[in-house]
Amino acid sequence: MIQFAKDYIPLYFAGTLVALGVAALSMALSVGIGLLGALGRMSGNRTARSVTSAYVAFFRGIPPLVLLYVVYFGLPSWAQELGVRPLADFLAPLNNRIMSAVVAFGVNSGAYSTEIIRSAIASIHPEQMEAAQSLGMSYWLAMRRIIVPQSARVAFPPLGNEFIAVLKGTSLASVIGVTELMRDAQLVAAATFRNLAAYTLAAVFYVVLVIILQSVVGRLERRLSLVHK
Amino acid sequence: MLAGPSLGQGREETRSKPGTLLSAAAEQTTRYEGSGGPLLQLIDVSKYFGKTPALSDVNLTVNRGETVAIVGPSGSGKTTLLRCINFLVPYDSGRILVNGRLVGYREQQGNTVRDTGHNVNEIRKRIGMVFQQFNLFPHRTVLGNLIEGPLYVLRITRSEAVTRAQAALELIGLMDKVEAYPDQLSGGQQQRVAIARALCMEPELMLFDEVTSALDPELVGEVLSVMRQLARKGMTMVVVTHEMEFARDVADRVVFMEASKIVTDQPASDFFERPSTPRIGAFLSRLSLPRNSD
Repeated sequence: MIQFAKDYIPLYFAGTLVALGVAALSMALSVGIGLLGALGRMSGNRTARSVTSAYVAFFRGIPPLVLLYVVYFGLPSWAQELGVRPLADFLAPLNNRIMSAVVAFGVNSGAYSTEIIRSAIASIHPEQMEAAQSLGMSYWLAMRRIIVPQSARVAFPPLGNEFIAVLKGTSLASVIGVTELMRDAQLVAAATFRNLAAYTLAAVFYVVLVIILQSVVGRLERRLSLVHK
Repeated sequence: MLAGPSLGQGREETRSKPGTLLSAAAEQTTRYEGSGGPLLQLIDVSKYFGKTPALSDVNLTVNRGETVAIVGPSGSGKTTLLRCINFLVPYDSGRILVNGRLVGYREQQGNTVRDTGHNVNEIRKRIGMVFQQFNLFPHRTVLGNLIEGPLYVLRITRSEAVTRAQAALELIGLMDKVEAYPDQLSGGQQQRVAIARALCMEPELMLFDEVTSALDPELVGEVLSVMRQLARKGMTMVVVTHEMEFARDVADRVVFMEASKIVTDQPASDFFERPSTPRIGAFLSRLSLPRNSD
């Protein structure tokens, strides 16, 4: 077992880096969507509100694995068959496995981020907006300078948890052949027939990674805290 | 009028202390005063929340340099009145004029329509507002709170904004708290910073919404003394308050509101010496104000 670990740790490390990269890109997409989605959900514009609500309801309901299949196996070939050139070109990057994984996980997680950011913004007292407006700030300026920076501190811990969930979710990308941690474990298991050792080592990697991330999130959280006493 | 002599004193003081932030504001006030005319006018202003009237045909005029206290039982519409002035609450009918300019609405082809956000902000940046709950920005230091409006709304340079902030801090006596965060300050200190934040915009009118009601009793004095200074320097102020002593000592006029209406509007001394209705007498006696005979 020790020898086994020694032999494969470098490979598992490489897989870990891929998993982290996919998770980071997905999370960046997720937070971007979440910010737009949250502003849409709270907007005075009815269309913006219904579009974003539908997005959240829809993508929270789809299992990430199903979404991954739709994005990777479904969309590019559908665009090919349809024969609409610009659409096919637009969706062509999804033939890249990593790109597909990032889009699928990002769009899926974006639904959760939307809710996290929306509730963070809602948690800021409306008086903060009034104080900003009484200084002559427009709604958007007040959002940008006063409300969103305060919400970011509220949203950070749950977004950290969301990142950890996304990271574990990247193991699903193994089914479309992204050589992340889980895929590496599958390859090792197939080559050595030592299923238990191969997958247990992957599990250990995930656990250690999550523990490290959790402590980083906790530390940043304390630093971002609004309490200064 | 009471306003006359007290204003005169204000001007004298201003000259004796040039260079401070507020003297600049006061000089402005003085300059305007020559042109005459009220700074703030409410004409038949009404506001309903659903079917409940919050303001019914309210008429009020505030001249430059005047301090007007608005008193009355809770739920009488005092706070709504104040919030209509800078259009945090849109009023339903009537007119509010600040410096002769209609607040929140404009004429368009004979119709009165809601004004653009930009125009509302133009008026708001000339009106300072201080809230009951301070509402400082908790993610910014004291300095950050003070320069936020000047930097991003007035768009003056950072060094100019910092100079203004320092002058304001000197006035409120918190120079040593520049780098502190709001949650490191006492309630009284926070409220003084909130006043300073409004002053940094160099407003021509200041609105105070029960600014001492959320404070521990021993912290009320420091906030009132800052307001007293402002009044003396000729700042035009509308003060919603339950502090009757403050109203009596500082305000030029006292407006008594009840059930969404202005019941009386009289010089402060008359209001306290000769309550014009039994209702006001009862209101005052319940507040156990030390009588002015002392």
